[in-house]
Amino acid sequence: MTTHTSTIETVDKKAGGREANLGLWLTLPTQLLVVFIAVFPILMQLYISLTDWSPLDGIQWWRAWELWNTFANYTDLAADSQFWGAVGRTFLIMAICVPVEFLLGLGLAILFVDNFPGRKILYSVLLVPMMVVPAVAGYMFYMLFQSGGPVNDLLSIFVGYPVRIAWLSDPTLALFAIIVADIWQWTPLMFLVLLAGLVGVPEDQQQAATLLGASWTRRFFTIVLPRMKAIIIIALAIRVIENFKIFDTLFIMTNGGPGVATETISVYIYKITQQDLIWGYVAAIALAILIVLSLVSVFAIKLIASKEQAS
Amino acid sequence: MQRTLLFETFRFSIIFLIIALTLVPTLWMVSMAFKPIQEWSASGGDLTWWPKNPTLDNFRFIFGESSSELIVALERGAGRPILASLLSATFGTLIAMVAGTTAAYGLSRFNSGRNLPLALIQLRLFPPMAVMIPVMIMWAFLGLTDTWWGLALIYGIVTLPFAFWLMKTFFDDMPREIEDAALVEGCSRFRVFLKITLPMMRPALASSALFVFILNWSDYLIALLLTTRDWVTIPVYMASLSSSMTGQLYGAKAALGLIAAIPPVVMGIAIQKHLVRGLTFGALKE
Repeated sequence: MTTHTSTIETVDKKAGGREANLGLWLTLPTQLLVVFIAVFPILMQLYISLTDWSPLDGIQWWRAWELWNTFANYTDLAADSQFWGAVGRTFLIMAICVPVEFLLGLGLAILFVDNFPGRKILYSVLLVPMMVVPAVAGYMFYMLFQSGGPVNDLLSIFVGYPVRIAWLSDPTLALFAIIVADIWQWTPLMFLVLLAGLVGVPEDQQQAATLLGASWTRRFFTIVLPRMKAIIIIALAIRVIENFKIFDTLFIMTNGGPGVATETISVYIYKITQQDLIWGYVAAIALAILIVLSLVSVFAIKLIASKEQAS
Repeated sequence: MQRTLLFETFRFSIIFLIIALTLVPTLWMVSMAFKPIQEWSASGGDLTWWPKNPTLDNFRFIFGESSSELIVALERGAGRPILASLLSATFGTLIAMVAGTTAAYGLSRFNSGRNLPLALIQLRLFPPMAVMIPVMIMWAFLGLTDTWWGLALIYGIVTLPFAFWLMKTFFDDMPREIEDAALVEGCSRFRVFLKITLPMMRPALASSALFVFILNWSDYLIALLLTTRDWVTIPVYMASLSSSMTGQLYGAKAALGLIAAIPPVVMGIAIQKHLVRGLTFGALKE
């Protein structure tokens, strides 16, 4: 990257300060958009989160101080069992989905490393689920899991008598259906990223190890996997981040129900935003999540950076 | 891995099993889209995997023509929601690409905006749900609620991190000799960017734009919160496809779902080569 800068720098000196500002101008629109969507809204959110403000109160948001309640929203949050239930469910879904997607994706990627007839077309077909609009995938799985739908139809063939399970009305089965939909849609992403990583592992070492008589499993665990560490971390991080936000498919399939059986953090926030309209409280939840996520991300980035320096 | 017959059999059976699991949900929707109402309604009795009497009725129905005595025509057809999705996703992509490309070039060549890579990743990290209260208030204040341009603006910001990171890696990869040569000949830096760099980057720009478009087109939550009636997008509109007589209009939903699903799948396959780069914020190039 640094090899070609010398010419540019000399030219820069010739052109003087006039063009040195160009970089600032080029980055300005993005900087403004970041301020517009991050800095200002977060300050506004902080302010509203300290009040009982709701859009139904008939007063503008900047006059929310009239409903000042200091930290009441935050103490309510600590005692809100429905919220903590949603947090637990979000992590439960993540704890099942992400490892399953990872193992399936890795297994498939291993099968796709070397060339075979039809590889290209099968590869494209495997990627289809992740490109289907998530909301549409939600409707697809909603239809599949109806009591008169194809999932029960297939089960009937296997067990030999008609099965009429109401998947989406049972708390446990609804959670299962949602997890199936997520795994269906996002295993391809793991597959795609991990395959790119596997293909990138240089072959010379592996060939040397093969000549020395190392078995495939041994080569995989001692040569391939360690070299894929960074990619595995990236793949897992992407899915953890995205799975944490899980909303579209889930909301369409179950609406968070039956009861609160599939209510995740996003669904809970959506419900109190749209149905209960207690925005002061929503702002407090949202801000608390933002703070926790920022701390976690800063910590994670520092950890990864220090590991990279060490290796 | 050794290429034994046993292994090849194993490989193909696993792959075909997974392909079948991958395709069944999609094909079920395709099949539903072409079934007449008697075959998909809840009271329809027997379920068939393929339509017995394939028909385009579902497609006609969502565009406002009722061809069945069982359901009355829709109050609002799907034409407008499709237009809303198209306009908001297209202009959202435009905003993200213009801001992202210029900023990426500024960082890659002038080293300005060094805060942006991390700031934009953080923007992506946050669940949209967690910043939507201020956004809803701001959008209402600015008169942007329930408009396609309001959606386009927020889409542009939400997908800006992808546009920026993708273009940054493309600019970093680009050899600078040509730019250098043009500079030596006396072109201004901005002219070089407009007349030399951008035309050279056309394939990269196209792939990034398609990637960003897919993301914008796929949104559900933001449109659910920011549109109410006039400019609802396809996924939001789909919820209204039900009737008191028959309940959920599966056939109509499947037909519209199919229309919504086709563009991103086609585009995604077209830019396959760059998907990894886009999804990993350029950390991994294929």
